[in-house]
Amino acid sequence: MSNTQLGFTRRYLAMKGDMFRYNMAKAKRMKVCYLFLAPYALLFITFFILPICTSIFYGFTYYNILEPARFVGLQNYINLVLQDEVFLTSVKNTFVIAVITGPLGYILSFLFAWFINELPKWLRAIAVVIFYAPSIAGTAYSIFSIIFRGDAYGYLNSFLLNLGFIDAPILWLTDPNYIMTVLIIVILWMSMGTGFLSFVAGFQGIDKSMYEAGYVDGVRNRWQELYHITLPSMKPMLLFGAVMSITSAFNVCDVPRALAGYPSTDYAARTVVTHLFDYGFSRFEMGYASAIATLLFLVMILCKKVISAALEKVGT
Amino acid sequence: MSEMMYKSSGTLVLKGKKIRGELVASETSAIFTGKKNTTIEMPYPEIEVLKNVRNGDMASTITVKMKSGEEYVFMLPTGLKVYHYMDKMWDNKPRVRSRAEELHRLAEMRGERIVKPKKHLIKRRHPNRSIGGDIGIYIMLAVVAFAMAFPLIFAIGSALKPLDELFRFPPTVLPKHPTLDNFSDLIVTMGQSWVPFTRYITNTVFITAVGTFGHLIIASMAAFVLAKYDFPGGRLFFNIVTTALMFSGYVTGIPNYVIMSKLGMIDTYWALLLPAFAAPIGLFMMKQFMEGLPTALIEAAHIDGASEFRIFWSIVMPNVKPAWLTVIIFSVQSLWNNAAGTIIYSEAKKPLVYALQQILAGGVARAGQGAAVTVVVMAVPILIFILSQSQILETMASSGIKD
Repeated sequence: MSNTQLGFTRRYLAMKGDMFRYNMAKAKRMKVCYLFLAPYALLFITFFILPICTSIFYGFTYYNILEPARFVGLQNYINLVLQDEVFLTSVKNTFVIAVITGPLGYILSFLFAWFINELPKWLRAIAVVIFYAPSIAGTAYSIFSIIFRGDAYGYLNSFLLNLGFIDAPILWLTDPNYIMTVLIIVILWMSMGTGFLSFVAGFQGIDKSMYEAGYVDGVRNRWQELYHITLPSMKPMLLFGAVMSITSAFNVCDVPRALAGYPSTDYAARTVVTHLFDYGFSRFEMGYASAIATLLFLVMILCKKVISAALEKVGT
Repeated sequence: MSEMMYKSSGTLVLKGKKIRGELVASETSAIFTGKKNTTIEMPYPEIEVLKNVRNGDMASTITVKMKSGEEYVFMLPTGLKVYHYMDKMWDNKPRVRSRAEELHRLAEMRGERIVKPKKHLIKRRHPNRSIGGDIGIYIMLAVVAFAMAFPLIFAIGSALKPLDELFRFPPTVLPKHPTLDNFSDLIVTMGQSWVPFTRYITNTVFITAVGTFGHLIIASMAAFVLAKYDFPGGRLFFNIVTTALMFSGYVTGIPNYVIMSKLGMIDTYWALLLPAFAAPIGLFMMKQFMEGLPTALIEAAHIDGASEFRIFWSIVMPNVKPAWLTVIIFSVQSLWNNAAGTIIYSEAKKPLVYALQQILAGGVARAGQGAAVTVVVMAVPILIFILSQSQILETMASSGIKD
């Protein structure tokens, strides 16, 4: 290493040291802040950060709760990719669901929030309730098992039979050809969640004078207004909505379990999270399940990074 | 005499002569009585022109021209009210032309062709919103809103159907003879359960109330310092919380189970309550909303010598009430819907949703009760949302993630 390089390194380290001492002094002065943060931080670290860390750790072990964890290296990951065909099916299903319901649910949430924003105030309040209700309605999605029931008493089947589109009832929830379509419809139905609310609120918060200025400057129709004025001022909400969409798109579990059965025919409705659930809580192969959780988590973080980079370019 | 009348003394100028007297305006006519026995009656229908020149304050000069050609000029020191009354009662008052009509008339006189603007059945809301687009959007919203509401309506309809209608072919959406039988059956079934049903309700109410209250306090305390103080590590911590928004209960479920069993919390309410206290979404919403509070408010309290806790409790918390409601609804939603199947296995400690799901799993024989259960479970969060919508939207307006 040359002399100048050494000099730079030394100066850099000295600067870092100064920064550290400065921050420590500041932290000492603001002790009370840490006091306020402590209860939350303690619980948060115990129940949200520690699980992620242990998940990464157990991913490299064989662990079944009864025996102590045994280190197996990358064996879990190798098994997942090379041996576990059901996992590959579940990845494919999750990917299909995530790619369709994630972006589509996101865009629909945004579009409907935008349309609703143009309604008169009283109508807007009603519309927000109607669109938001499915996502908070608890187990209301189980009603779809009656609508999509496989015999002629199912609502959709009897409707189609009466109109003469089909001759025999279709097994919507047990035929692998239809399961995914039905699931995607149900998940889309539930996709107007927290992100949607954030959009509705965001639209109401935009400064009205910006629209007038835009009109004077020659914004001719609603689409131009959307792209040049609305979207740039909604960026923070767009990122929040994206985080919420990613979360719900990758964590599909309750809906397929309730509608398609657990396990479903030919694993046609198996998602990564149901697979994780199966290994974690039915077979107690915690190490294997942790490896799945770690992979899922990495993919979600990656998605968030990609989306926030893409949103940087919107409306500029 | 109940008749309305206004009067004013003054001078009449008639053909150069001035006569002092009094002008009285009654409902049918205005009468001037002056010296030298002059009495002039001016019935309103006979008046052709009525003009007024204000001379400041109440003084005015009224010019009246009758149809018979006579012209009178009254100079009245307090005649304004008299004039207004006469003007009000005057019958064949010429219509006042607007500027547009005047221009129109002039253009017609010059012989120009006049293009009349088309009359629209529906007016544009705003110059850059097309009517076609608006109608399209309204129709689409109506259709999609129906599709969104249909399953919920179907659920309510099924809950109100008597048993014979539940299995009728073809199935109907709304019941022909709505009944509350399913709900009363539900209560009967509940009464037969091994653990008294009130126990489940108490459990859920306890978990939801304590969990939400603790979460509100703990998350607000953390949000307060994260939003209003710049201390080392604060920003990093908040970024981690933002990432944690993406952790679902399933991803952290397995290690959480292991950690809880190590801490000896399995099959106790702590296993439900403690993670709920630290839910990232509540801290996130609270912090974003508190950032909108003016810093001056807190600095002023500092100067007055208030302690941090006092500032938090009596200045910050009362000012973020909309955010409370939002945090409360998110927390109630997740606790209310949490069946806690994996961490609580004593039947006597199970929450309501778990018990209801057992009824739901009862299959065909309990289809009616199952529908009633679905309605009961979904009604609570939706009702809370309807009641607190405006405050929640106020909080959500500050929900964005700033990179």
